[in-house]
Amino acid sequence: MVLLPFVAFVVGLLLARFFPWNAVGGLTGQYLAVACLAGIDTVFGGIRSVLESKFNGIVFITGFVSNTLIAFFLAWLGDRIGIDLYVAVALVLGARIFTNLSLIRRFIITRLQDNADRKKLQSIVQATAGAPEPNI
Amino acid sequence: MNPFVQRITHRSDQWVWPVSGMCLILGFMVMIAQLSDTNFHSRLAFLNPNQKDRVAEGAVDIDAFRELQTEVTSLRSEKTQLENLVAGKGEATKLLNNSLQSTKAFAGLTPVEGPGVSVTLRDSPHPESIKIQGQLEVPPQNNIHDTDVLQLVNELFAAGAEAVSVNDHRIAGPTSIRCVGPTILIDDINIASPIVVQAIGDPKTLEGALNLNGGVLDDFRRWDPDMVQEEKKELIRLDPYSGRTEFRVARVPKT
Repeated sequence: MVLLPFVAFVVGLLLARFFPWNAVGGLTGQYLAVACLAGIDTVFGGIRSVLESKFNGIVFITGFVSNTLIAFFLAWLGDRIGIDLYVAVALVLGARIFTNLSLIRRFIITRLQDNADRKKLQSIVQATAGAPEPNI
Repeated sequence: MNPFVQRITHRSDQWVWPVSGMCLILGFMVMIAQLSDTNFHSRLAFLNPNQKDRVAEGAVDIDAFRELQTEVTSLRSEKTQLENLVAGKGEATKLLNNSLQSTKAFAGLTPVEGPGVSVTLRDSPHPESIKIQGQLEVPPQNNIHDTDVLQLVNELFAAGAEAVSVNDHRIAGPTSIRCVGPTILIDDINIASPIVVQAIGDPKTLEGALNLNGGVLDDFRRWDPDMVQEEKKELIRLDPYSGRTEFRVARVPKT
């Protein structure tokens, strides 16, 4: 179940591979690349919110759609008005991807360590329960 | 922290489907936004120079290129053998073949050998930093540039060289020499210092022309004598030109 997003990602890649207008060129491709960055950021953000147990499906999906569109049009707008907003988008989203990934890593590590600690303590409790009560 | 209390976790798997769906769309987007063979040229123009260099270098399959190159060379020599075989029949064909072979030799499509000179150019081994506009910089004279190679090749031909090769790449009619990033490009092949230029011709004349006061090598020697190494050779063998020879646009007029 946890692997389903990965599978879906690969399916998406393959789907595009067999799509008739494969690989967008020119400036549109450039903007779409920025939009991809926003998509990656949102997906990692979603995974993070799952680990924080505050995931909300509606918020996630609308976030994904609006973030990609905003990134795309910000890059587009940047070229219209002659400012490299494209770089700004890439910079901010890149930083956010790093933050999200590091938080995901911390959550997973904490969870694993918690589990290990709990097992250890449980085994200690079981061992002491089996043994005769010490006379105090 | 009491480890025996069941943690309050909202372990519903409701997140899996939205995330998977968006991952699918993301995969699709990544695939159509990537730099591929079809959109490569239209998107390369929008990259900054550094990234352009990296992308362009990554796109070249050097091994496949070299393989094809050796194949072209071997096929061409095979063709020469076949032409000689066919020409063995009669006087007229023999004459025709002789003229064909001399034309091919002139065009640089056959290996050639003979006496000549070999010139090695290398970037200065002990570059001195000097102050340029208040900043310490290594002056450009310390490195070998495309124009240096171009000038040297030109000078060799001017001095009567009959065949020239640069780092074993034969110079033929359509050969171009230019600079791409940190390397020099000869007919789409990257070379870098040290650069060995070999030329077949009268060794004395060639050497004399190269060592002329104010000549091509003089500039290097004045900057750093170690940048140039030049020697006469009894026998040099040059490989044939291995680039494209077919015309796409030009044709030979009928009359």
